[in-house]
Formats: sequence, structure tokens, C-alpha cells
Amino acid sequence: MIRIRLNITVLLITLLTASVAGSKEITVCSTCGVTTIAQALAESSDGDVIILKPGIYKEHSLTVANRIELRADEGAVLDADKKGPGITIKHDSVRIAGLTIRNVDVSYINDLSAVMVDNVSGCVIERNVIEDTFFAIYLAGSSMCKVEGNRIQGQAKTESSSGNGIHLWKCSAMYVADNQITGHRDGIYLEFVSSSSIRGNYSGRNLRYGLHFMFSDSNSYSGNTFENNGAGVAVMYSKFIKMTGNTFKNNWGESAYGLLLKELYDGLLEDNLFFRNTAAIHVEGSNRIEIVRNDFIENGWALYLLGNSYENKVTANNFINNTFDVSSNSSRNNNFYSENYWDKYKGYDLNRDGTGDVPYRPVSLFSVILEKSPESIIMLRSVAVDILDAIERVIPSVIPETLIDDRPKFTRYSNDRDKGTS
Amino acid sequence: MNAIIILFSLLAVFGCSKETEPIEYGKDQCAHCRMTIVDNKFGAEMVTSKGKVYKFDAAECLVNFLNTGKVPESEAETLLVTNLESPGNFIDARSAAFLISPKLRSPMGENISAFSGRNAAEKFKEQYTGETYDWNSLVAMFRSR
Repeated sequence: MIRIRLNITVLLITLLTASVAGSKEITVCSTCGVTTIAQALAESSDGDVIILKPGIYKEHSLTVANRIELRADEGAVLDADKKGPGITIKHDSVRIAGLTIRNVDVSYINDLSAVMVDNVSGCVIERNVIEDTFFAIYLAGSSMCKVEGNRIQGQAKTESSSGNGIHLWKCSAMYVADNQITGHRDGIYLEFVSSSSIRGNYSGRNLRYGLHFMFSDSNSYSGNTFENNGAGVAVMYSKFIKMTGNTFKNNWGESAYGLLLKELYDGLLEDNLFFRNTAAIHVEGSNRIEIVRNDFIENGWALYLLGNSYENKVTANNFINNTFDVSSNSSRNNNFYSENYWDKYKGYDLNRDGTGDVPYRPVSLFSVILEKSPESIIMLRSVAVDILDAIERVIPSVIPETLIDDRPKFTRYSNDRDKGTS
Repeated sequence: MNAIIILFSLLAVFGCSKETEPIEYGKDQCAHCRMTIVDNKFGAEMVTSKGKVYKFDAAECLVNFLNTGKVPESEAETLLVTNLESPGNFIDARSAAFLISPKLRSPMGENISAFSGRNAAEKFKEQYTGETYDWNSLVAMFRSR
């Protein structure tokens, strides 16, 4: 993280000093000597600054081939008019700031985007507004870019006719922060990306996932909010992902998750809030993930761990008002639960050490029945089910015997993260 | 009464059919990778001899699923892949031609596209580069990895 920050600082300093020494400013406006962005780009050389005055520029398929800075004043709009992509950056250390880009059409095979970053080292894309484009910001084969403070708004109606908001492919050391992304397929998408940091973004109302990792190792995301997406976040076929301080909320629907972990190895999931998701976390084929100090509040399922997941640790979390705390399709348990607060715990604490004296079994009998025949959901909250659950508590027979929290916390942890739930 | 009999016989007929099902993009999940299927250029499907339908987000997921052996290929009555040239429409996988091209990125990173025939695949190969395969060589190539 610090390294990425440092790299970006170095990059910024290079950009700033470059613009002072021996470079020129090109101002673009309807009454200036230069009236189009294309003309400004053609006349520019390394170190130049292009200043875009307010106005609608009906241009598309622009290419940045020099190390320049494009500074747009408020009200400067690049309108591609559905004729092609917006701007493609093909040179290292380019900065684009404050620009509004609109109307990049959906295409069948090409991933047309408002800003395409193609094989560069170092770039800054910040404070832009991107509206109604197929893909918004697409970074391929690049490293050390900062994508910050952009407002991206798509009009995704069907999933196949919408691209991703911020799309990273074969990148490393990227910093994606404080962007607001709505109405796309995936808000932020990473494929073959490493050593990158995704922080403080808001990703909501996207059709598929708020954030999506594919084959991307050693990344972190923190302090993001994922709300009302098809599903919150999917982390798939990746290793070493750090997930901290995020909010996953209102991801409702048949195949909706707050967080889907599919073949993730060695992850840390800490201090997150899961509020009102169909399944807060769905874990499949994932090993050695530490799930610590999270709040699971008012979800359908808090944790849905499939039997092919091993050595995951669930400790010191709050489980509050979830229909089911833990569910599994396996009669064996290969994971570890300890010191969590479970609001359904009916034990006692005679020695007053803050820990319940009898273990808690977070899997309810009914959730096992439900797993085998989903139609039985109709019996939820019926007296018959309560009786079955009571019997199972006294004489455990169906629930994996080792799936217990041996030291259930007696009082709720005050994690601060549950503030957003009232 | 007659109506009820007709209804039940209809149910019986459709209940046991080995019909293929269209993919509901944005709703259906891939049976192999669990991802929501969204890209209508790359989906795939298998219908078993018992009539069970498995849907996939990409040809590579179908191939990988078969290679896991959970459902052997001998039980697959129908194998379908999406024709890249006609998004959303299936063609028979066993007679399709395939192109693996890094310039045609598929949802699961293997970059497999399917075409109705050799000629179409070769045409795309000229423009997008890559290697062409038929169904058997594609499955064999993945199995050997």
C-alpha cells in the first residue's frame, strides 16, 4: 500500500515538474485558436498541458500518444455521440482530470470505453464524470495508475448490453479510490490484477457485482460500500485478498450474496458489515480465510459454507437477527468457530467470564432440511420447526457434531461497524 | 375434468423432456464457476440423458465441468455452446469450431469462442489471431493440463 502511494506521489511530482519546465499550455474552446481536443492532442508534445474550456466537444476515438495532462474545466464535455470510444491513452504518465465523457455506444465484440488505458506505466484519471457509456474506464496491461474520485453512471438495462464501470485487465499496482459507480454490469472488475488497492468506493445498482476479482492475487479492498447490486462482491480464483472495513448491504434476490468467495485461498475478512443480504457470505472451495470481527445483521443466511471449504476461521463476529447463522451442505465440519456473539444463543454464563458455559451450535436443523429440500422454506417460523430444533439441540443427530462455537461470547461486541443499520 | 387430465399429461410430457433451456442472462448461475451468467456471446449448456440442465457462462466452464467427471460426457445428451456470431443462440458443441484468441476475451479467462463451422472460425482467426480447435481437441487440450 505504502509503495503504491509512493509511486503515485513520484508520478505526480514528475507530472507537475514536467509542466513547469519547457512545456506549453494549449487552451481549447470554440473561439480559441484550437477548437477541438483532437487538434490539441495533435499539436501537443511531452509535458504539455491541454486546458479544455466549457463546451460540448462532439469528438470520439481520440488517442493520447504523448506525456500530457488534460485538464477540463467544469462544463467541458466530450460527447462521443455513440460513434466510437472516447479517449485511449497510449503513453506513460498521462493525467486526465475533470472531464465529462458521454455517450459511448454498446458494441458487439469490442469493449468500447470512455477512457481506455492501453499498456502504460503510470497514469492519473481523476474527478471525471462518465455517463452512459458501455465501459467507463478500461485499463489493460498497465501499472501504477491512480483512478480516483470519478463519478460513473451507466444506464445498464440488460447485462449483456452493459460493460463494467472500472475494468482492470492484466494490471498491477493500481490504486482505485473514492469513485462512485452505478448502473453498470460489474462496478469494478479485476482480471489478472495484482498488488492493487480498491478503497473508499461506492458501487451500487450494478447489474451483476459491485466488485469482482478473477484470477487476481495479493490485492486489498477496504472502506467500500456495496449496495443494491445483483450481488455485492465476488472474489474468485484468487489468493491473498485482504477485505476490511467494507459495507455490504441490501443485496437481495435469488442468487444474491453480499460476498461470494469461490476458490479464494488465504484471505482476511475483517471489520466488515453485512446488512440485509440474502446470503451475507457464500463460501465455496475456499480455504484458510479468517473471518474476524464482522457484523452480520438481518441477513437471510449469515454464512453459507459449502463442504469443500477447509480451515476457515470464524472468530469474534456478531451474528444478530439473521434467519440462519450458519448453513452447510456437508455433514462434516472442516472449519473453526470461536468466540462469536450469537443472538440466538440460549446458554448461560454462571462463572461470569463473558463466555457462555455451553457451546453454541450455529447450524439449525431446519437449515439442514432446507438445504435438502428448498421447498420446505414454507415451514419457516412454524411451531413444528421450533420443536424439531429444540429436539436437535438436546439430542444432536443431523447437524455436524464438530460444528460448534465452544466459547460463544455472552454479550455483543461493540464493533462500531453496525452504525449504518439503525 | 378433461382440462385437468390434459394439464397433467402436459405436465408429464414437459416434466420429463430433455429440452434445452435458454439462459436467463443476469439470473442463471454457471454450474461450474458459480458466476452469474451475463455475456450472451459465450454461454454454454448441457442436458443430460435424464433431462437435467446445466448452464455455463463460458465454453471453458463446460469443458472443465466435464473434465471434473461429476457428470461424465457419456451422460450428456446435448452439449451446446453459444455462437459468437449470433449472440444468445446455441449451436451443437460437438460439431462447432472453436477459436482461442487473446483478442476475444471470454468470461473465464481462457478466451474460447465458438463458431458454427470451420470457415467462420478461420475468418475470425484472420482478424483476431489465435488457434482453432474442434470439440474433441478442445476437451483433450484442457484435460492434458
